[in-house]
Amino acid sequence: MDNQEHKTIAYSEESYPPMPTKTTLFWRRFWPYQVWRWIVLNLKILRIVAGGHS
Amino acid sequence: MSKIVVLGAGISGHTASTWLRKKLSKKHEVIVVAPVTYYHWIPSNIWVGVGRMTPEQVRFKLEPRYKKVGIIFKQAKAVSIHPEGNKENKNSFVKIEYTGQNKTGQSELVDYDFLINATGPKLNFAGTEGLGPDKNTVSVCSYDHADHAWKKLQESLEKMEKGEKQKFLIGTGHPGATCQGAAFEYILNVHHEIARRNLQHLADIKWITNEFELGDFGMAGAYIKRGGYITSTKTFTESFLKERDITWIKQAGVKKVDKGKLYYELLDGSEHEETFDFAMLIPSFTGPGLKAFDKNDKDITSEVFAPNGFMKVDADYTKKPFEEWKASDWPETYQTPSYKNIFAAGIAFAPPHSISKPMFSPNGTAIFPAPPRTGMPSGVIGKVIAENLIEWIKKGDTSLKHRASMSKMGAACIVSAGFGHFKGGAATMTVFPIVQDWEKYPAYGRDIRYTVGEAGLAGHWLKWFMHYMFLHKAKGYPFWWLLPE
Repeated sequence: MDNQEHKTIAYSEESYPPMPTKTTLFWRRFWPYQVWRWIVLNLKILRIVAGGHS
Repeated sequence: MSKIVVLGAGISGHTASTWLRKKLSKKHEVIVVAPVTYYHWIPSNIWVGVGRMTPEQVRFKLEPRYKKVGIIFKQAKAVSIHPEGNKENKNSFVKIEYTGQNKTGQSELVDYDFLINATGPKLNFAGTEGLGPDKNTVSVCSYDHADHAWKKLQESLEKMEKGEKQKFLIGTGHPGATCQGAAFEYILNVHHEIARRNLQHLADIKWITNEFELGDFGMAGAYIKRGGYITSTKTFTESFLKERDITWIKQAGVKKVDKGKLYYELLDGSEHEETFDFAMLIPSFTGPGLKAFDKNDKDITSEVFAPNGFMKVDADYTKKPFEEWKASDWPETYQTPSYKNIFAAGIAFAPPHSISKPMFSPNGTAIFPAPPRTGMPSGVIGKVIAENLIEWIKKGDTSLKHRASMSKMGAACIVSAGFGHFKGGAATMTVFPIVQDWEKYPAYGRDIRYTVGEAGLAGHWLKWFMHYMFLHKAKGYPFWWLLPE
């Protein structure tokens, strides 16, 4: 996405949140890195499930 | 021989009944009472609502599944609970009314030794005038609602393809609604469908929510590590919307919906209107309207159920201000205090209070989300109740040593947008625990190592993986019991 397309209206609610840069968008879609994140997220969720009940 | 009756065949009830059947010998009866024909994997309704899946892909028939493993299935709705029996029947029993199996409308009394109430919520569209798929808005709360939403969405997309502008309003349709996560996922998917057709220039997409701040999701928001900071889910959520040119209205209690127009009150007490061409708004939830009677047929509904229709369990229901809420208020065993052989699982149990801070407008309107209890916590609660009953029945152990408090368990909320291996994206949020524990985690209310918020393809794959994994598990395919709840 080209961030330059967004028109910011100063002081509006929508003017405050952060916008992802091109680099951020690249990492979100760079599949080798996302495979790693998939493994990490799975491990975190498994830990959550295992630790959530006794 | 013990007879266990499970009311409901959603995530919690289905988990409980299948575990009970697996672990108990056939001399014990497991009976499921549910008014529906199908089990359905609710999180995938979102894909049905944008035409990327058919209802058939998110559901399967319950009766053959139960017949195969020896669970007795009665397609019926529970009408009343009689924990002490009555003059004619000394056993505890449930009165049911059939909705299928060629017995529609017939009543039956079903005796039980143990009862698990896992009825889920009633979608209270009547709580907001003009709300619901039969009236002026659509819903994604069930597969048939989602299928209807897709038909309506197609009408808007077709108009846009002819050059007509369309306004989309998605969010909560009641001042006390929950399930913001599902609505949030739907708005991202609607945006994706519009964007892939290159129709953004004709779309005005707006998020409307009863949250005090975006990212509350009925769990008082969360703190997450992101971009070198520990930040709030408010920033995370707003960023996701801003990236897509979606605007928002927060602190809004929707009170009435007409054709193409809704009316809402803000937390500051001001009244507003908003027009729309397409609106998907989540209703409030209530209990299913079950009644309870004692042995003299005296109505004891108010003793067994909270005013919202959900069943009272081992929670601390003492009224106290937000500042005094504790993690220990939340139930651990889901056993009812009045009747030790009755348990309430998943959405059916009455929470001690909300997780989000109660907020009231100057007019006295309560505008804040109810606590979410779907998915992972529902499955875990269903399993824990089953494990305790298995030990009770097999060993006579009534200590209920298996515990699962929402203030000690985590949950994952994956908001996936798009379809296909590389074209999707997702916001993945995990929280641990679900209910903040400010005594144990004074800095952020939760364990920051396992409270995560990140965007990317990984979450999208995870959502796909979960769709197939949990349907595999629910269908009882090989090694289903190895898969987590």
